[in-house]
Amino acid sequence: MSLLANPAILEAKGISFSYGKDSDFIENLSFTIGEGEFIGLLGANGSGKSTILKLGSGILKPQSGELTLWGKTFRSYKDRDRAKLISYLPQALDLSIPFTIRELVGMGLYPYDTPPLIGIDDALDMVGLGHRGGSHLSDLSGGERRRAFIAMTLLQGAGLLLLDEPLANLDIKYQIELVRLLMRLRDERNISVVMALHDINIALRFEKVMVIKSGRIVGIGGPSSVLTVPVISEAFGVSGEIKNAGKRDAYICFEENY
Amino acid sequence: MNARMVIIVLVAVTIFCFSVVVGPHIINPFALDETSKEILFSIRVPRSIVAVLMGMALGASGAVLQGMLRNPLADPYILGISSGASLAAACGILGGFSFLGTFTVPVLSFTGAVITGGMVGIIGWKRGGLWPERLLLAGVGLSFLFSALLMLLMSLSSDDGLRKAMLWIFGDLSMSDWSKMPYGCFLIAIGILVATMRAKALNALILGDEFAHSLGFAPHRERALLFISVALMTAASVSLGGMIGFIGLLVPHIVRSFIGSDSRVLIPASAFGGGALLCIADLISRTVMPPMELPAGVVTAIIGAPYFLYLLGRKNVLTR
Repeated sequence: MSLLANPAILEAKGISFSYGKDSDFIENLSFTIGEGEFIGLLGANGSGKSTILKLGSGILKPQSGELTLWGKTFRSYKDRDRAKLISYLPQALDLSIPFTIRELVGMGLYPYDTPPLIGIDDALDMVGLGHRGGSHLSDLSGGERRRAFIAMTLLQGAGLLLLDEPLANLDIKYQIELVRLLMRLRDERNISVVMALHDINIALRFEKVMVIKSGRIVGIGGPSSVLTVPVISEAFGVSGEIKNAGKRDAYICFEENY
Repeated sequence: MNARMVIIVLVAVTIFCFSVVVGPHIINPFALDETSKEILFSIRVPRSIVAVLMGMALGASGAVLQGMLRNPLADPYILGISSGASLAAACGILGGFSFLGTFTVPVLSFTGAVITGGMVGIIGWKRGGLWPERLLLAGVGLSFLFSALLMLLMSLSSDDGLRKAMLWIFGDLSMSDWSKMPYGCFLIAIGILVATMRAKALNALILGDEFAHSLGFAPHRERALLFISVALMTAASVSLGGMIGFIGLLVPHIVRSFIGSDSRVLIPASAFGGGALLCIADLISRTVMPPMELPAGVVTAIIGAPYFLYLLGRKNVLTR
């Protein structure tokens, strides 16, 4: 299946992957991420969202099929060159890391011998943390922590951000704030964003969504066409419907009895 | 260069200079007689250089291991390398081996350290890489095994051999001379150089393997390089003067509170800090109760432990 509307950055052709010998987890999966796309990756716990992001970032290697980044296989890139093109943020952030925010963000420059155009201060300003450079991660709010890591990826200069549940453990205000920030950065810097998330109401604001169940795609495209009762029922095992109170007020209403 | 780094280097150099002129016999470096020259160049200078080298190796190794294993309690001895070295050295001392003259015990201990390092590496290796938890557990397991064998060996040995072995195991700088300096200096310099050159990768590994990958590093390869550098430094240090405790654990924490956690600065700063601390500990060990000498490792613990406990009382000291 393809999301292709713009030049392809990441393309998976029939990739398969399993964590053990006896289980096929991802089987014959194909997708394309185009330049400047903003995609939500939805699915129940254990459906394969994180595995797909790790395959897409090169952390895991598919056991069959082909993954290409800007038309070239991952193997043809040196680690440092790949890091300039693609950035992955895991779900779990270790709050005990000893670095200041400035030191953390500065790590985005590690793939470079010559610093790129923007500096650490610019990256911090872009995410609204210009005043917190000397703080430690544990001193920041949940939303600020995520923004600090986003600043690191900005400095890294990658054109594709793969974010594993960046909205987890954030309240609704910080969730909206982070999504707005990422959309603004996408507009300003023409980066592509693929974000795993659980909140279907937030995903309704995305331009495209990909719904996963047991390592296979059960729906892909615009949220209004994909986040339908049958797809949600298949992916999550619950029934629901989309209520529309106006163009920007769509929300999912579940009919399950709790 | 970072101003605080300059301060650490200046302090280390000052302590070194102080340690060579101060002792039971105070030496005026501007008015040297024959006796003073003999004491200075045959005893004090080589002894202080060995103390600095060992301290540098242990300090830098501690900084690398605490980051690499993501464990604030890690020190160069946690990997069991020193236990292997001690067992091999004790075999040499208690067995009365002297096939390489004064080099016999250092060579045996270095060999023991390298073999143990290899064993830890082999056990810590799984699915194409070194895993921090496996390394840590392999090190602790082998450490217990070799310590038990060492105790068994010592319980079966004569009093004279036992005393020599005990002295060596608890860190003995009194036998330091110029002869072992070149290889110790070479191996420790290589280890510090490799660790400092891979400091960016170490910073990334502290964030986690997935971050390290995303930032353009191969986590398992980087961890293997850092492990080899630590194994080299620890083996060289133990073979120079036995086991000196606490430096590898304490110094990185003390230095981190002063200079920050960026491994690019922390590794060399911990090396200089470790060198300074062992130098001053050795100075105290040979001057407080002359002509008797205290084991330098005991002094490092007595100096360092209270400061460490003070640091523990401060917020998040183990991670900053």
